[in-house]
Amino acid sequence: MFFHSVLSPQSSVLLLIPATMLPFAAFLLIFVFTRKCPRLSAWLSIGSVAVSLVCSFVLFGLNLKMTGPIQYSVRLLASSGLDIPFGFLLDPLNLLMIVVVSAVCFLVQVYSLGYMAGDPGFSRYYSFMSLFAWAMLNLTLSLTILQLYIFWELVGLTSYLLIGFWYEKFSATQAGKKAFVMTRAGDAAFFIGFLLLFLHTGNLSITDLNGPAVSAALPPPVLTLSALLIFGGIVGKSAQFPLLTWLPDAMEGPTPVSALLHSATMVAAGVYLFARLFPFLRMSPAAMEVFLAIGTISMLLSSTMAIVSRDIKKVWAYSTISQLGFMIMALGAGGYFAGVFHLTAHAGFKSLLFLCSGVFIHRYGTNDVYELGRLGSRRMIVPTVTIILAAAALSGFPPLSGYFSKEAVVASLAELPNPAWLLAGLAGVFLTAYYSFRLIFILVLPRALEPGPPAGLDPTQTSAGGPNSPIPHAGVETGHESHYWVMAWPLLILTAITVILGFFRNPLKDFLQAGLMAGGAAEGGPFAWSHVAALGLAVAGAVLAWVEFGRSGAKQIGFVERIPPLFRLFSERWYIDHFYGLLVNLVIDRGISYLCYQNDNKVIDRGIDELAEGTVDGGRIVAFLQSGMIQYRLLVIFAVMVLLAIYFFFPVI
Amino acid sequence: MTLYGFFFYLISAVVIGATAIAITRRNLVHAVVYLIVSYFGTAMLFYLFGAPLLAALEIIIYAGAIMVLFLFVVMMIRVESYEEVMFPLSQWLPAAIFGLIYMVAAVAMIIETPGTEISLRMLTATPRQFALYVFEHHWFSIEVISLLLLLALVGALHLGTRKGAAQGLSAHDADTRLEGGRSGGPDLDAP
Amino acid sequence: MIVPFGHVLLVAGILFALGVFCAVVRRNLIMIVLGIEIMLNAVSIVFAGAALRWNNLEGQTFVLFILAVAATEVSVGLAIIVYAFRRTGSFDPSKFNLLR
Repeated sequence: MFFHSVLSPQSSVLLLIPATMLPFAAFLLIFVFTRKCPRLSAWLSIGSVAVSLVCSFVLFGLNLKMTGPIQYSVRLLASSGLDIPFGFLLDPLNLLMIVVVSAVCFLVQVYSLGYMAGDPGFSRYYSFMSLFAWAMLNLTLSLTILQLYIFWELVGLTSYLLIGFWYEKFSATQAGKKAFVMTRAGDAAFFIGFLLLFLHTGNLSITDLNGPAVSAALPPPVLTLSALLIFGGIVGKSAQFPLLTWLPDAMEGPTPVSALLHSATMVAAGVYLFARLFPFLRMSPAAMEVFLAIGTISMLLSSTMAIVSRDIKKVWAYSTISQLGFMIMALGAGGYFAGVFHLTAHAGFKSLLFLCSGVFIHRYGTNDVYELGRLGSRRMIVPTVTIILAAAALSGFPPLSGYFSKEAVVASLAELPNPAWLLAGLAGVFLTAYYSFRLIFILVLPRALEPGPPAGLDPTQTSAGGPNSPIPHAGVETGHESHYWVMAWPLLILTAITVILGFFRNPLKDFLQAGLMAGGAAEGGPFAWSHVAALGLAVAGAVLAWVEFGRSGAKQIGFVERIPPLFRLFSERWYIDHFYGLLVNLVIDRGISYLCYQNDNKVIDRGIDELAEGTVDGGRIVAFLQSGMIQYRLLVIFAVMVLLAIYFFFPVI
Repeated sequence: MTLYGFFFYLISAVVIGATAIAITRRNLVHAVVYLIVSYFGTAMLFYLFGAPLLAALEIIIYAGAIMVLFLFVVMMIRVESYEEVMFPLSQWLPAAIFGLIYMVAAVAMIIETPGTEISLRMLTATPRQFALYVFEHHWFSIEVISLLLLLALVGALHLGTRKGAAQGLSAHDADTRLEGGRSGGPDLDAP
Repeated sequence: MIVPFGHVLLVAGILFALGVFCAVVRRNLIMIVLGIEIMLNAVSIVFAGAALRWNNLEGQTFVLFILAVAATEVSVGLAIIVYAFRRTGSFDPSKFNLLR
């Protein structure tokens, strides 16, 4: 085992080791030793993530002027023909990602001190949080696709553990299972994809794959096929069409989990992979078209689902799918910087949205937006203000970060020859603004009477009474106020980031472009017609939401809800879940499982049984010879005589 | 094909046919009679093979003494009904299979052996020549065979005697004797 | 010139198979002995034919011996059968299974 760095040795490795390994140590310690001491567990976990955060910042600062990627590798898997190193890769994309990941992890863990207080599984929660932090950080710093895949799976595991955190609830365990299985399906495609690459090139190192030499050596069909298969992993992990139904169900987990995993970091891992392999995937224009299409479909589909949802967390979940689709559209269109910048900004304001919603849910114990509005959630100042700002950022209003990132995405879409993509993107912008502000208005300006569509029609609505509220314990009412400021500080910090991130756009762009082997897409000026159109549509969406939901005389029934077939279609998630249920039931349960079960019973078990019975029957037949009946013995004499004659006469036998 | 060849095939057909019928008769007397026909055929075959003394001996001893002995025994033991189970499958099937294997093997062996295409010649050994040969080369065996016949006589006598019984045997006698009756043989009484 | 020697062997073989069949399949002691007789008959045919084939009187001598032995064996065998019938009242060989 020898250390071998590609470019000039830096002291970064000294920072990398604690940054990546400490959370794992925290996980082990908490899981094994400190389960009975919640406070100690929390401090261990938060402490390790804080160290990672500090190390990330230092690394980021050290390497601001880096000219190319730095690698530290160790030869771990080496046998004949197989040589896969393990180690760390540092380049601008990575550094940005670890800063984002560790910052959001830290803030969410601090927030959870308040949200999960009193929960009997508190230590377990923090141990899983540490595990996730470790897995996600290592995922972003992976040197080879194999290492990335290992941590990809680990992140999926953590997601399963955290979604099903309140395991006494059946729907939570079901949701965890569903998430794991669906992402697993995507991961299978991913595995086959990179296995294909490995068979053809023998090399899984990311920098090598992004380089021109390896890609030129692959025949184009293989390139496209492996690109599509790797994208399958992205579809699974980032909840794109058709594997998108696990993310809304994943809202069964605690809200900080949703904020961390299912908005900012884990589902972003898919988009990160796309950006990571961007030069490689760009070599296949056909695959890029497919990516673009899938991103568009996901974005539009989930936006429509968000329009009609009553559950606050589910609206943000659909919004996440939609925004991820938006990012994939940007990357598919060739806008590397646009996609990555939107990823960063989205991490900020989406986690902020979830955390604010979490404050409301924790206080009032229900997920339903109308209920929350009526119970007076607007009386809590900090969450209300921050949620409004975050929704504005999501919709793309200046000068928040969302405006700059959406502008970049729309510009890269405008570069494409086919205007349909741009139109789809603009439609997405409109819908995003519409549903965000619909939610805000329902929350902040409630109506006294029972508004909105009848509760029975919306299956995405969770029952009032709050499945997301923690297991009831004594002292929940008085404790809220002390938890309030623990939960409020992360909200304020995230809001600050959201506000100021936009102004770092150009420095970030230069930083990222330096790390990219080839140039990214150029963009038009800030007053190109696409930007005006985007901003206009965002405003239009907000105005429509105001007209329908915010005005003092409005009935708070959206335009979709007036068209029952459309409403049913959207709220049933376009029947994708039904389709999957049918698939599992008919093909898997009644088809494949039935065949396997029959095979197991009739073929394998019966085979052994027949063998045993055959032996018994054979014995019974042979016993005839010993039955004392002389005629059988005569027959045996005769038979043996014949056989002996044959044996002696025909020498061949 | 010569005339004698034709005779051979004809007589062989008779022999085989008679034997085949004999072995499938339920009535024992019929079986024995068919077998006598078969032995007549065999005697003719012997005559064709140039052994007239053997042909005569076959008829006298085989058909005339042995088969008649069979008839005596069959008729003496009066069986009231045909109680035999004819051709149970468990015996019939393996026998048929092995018979088939045997026939295939036999045909194969006959074809493979180099000396079997040679046609037989017509020769005859007169009784005088035959007797001279036998008594010159195998006189000892003749003495042994006569001793053997004496043994058979003694054995049959021994097995056949019963204390104070001269009448015919029947199934009823056998039943009444099963319980405690001592029959002729000393050590053959099983408990 | 009569027939090829192979044909004689074949006839005798068929007869032998018939004899075995009778001895093995018929559920009657007397038929078993009859089957043995058929077999002996077949063998006699072979010997006589062989004597003609190789022009040697040994074959015929042996037929003589077979005849004598067959007589012997039939007489003793039938005596045994009669004795067995007296003891068990049946000719069925499956009844005689004390040696199982």
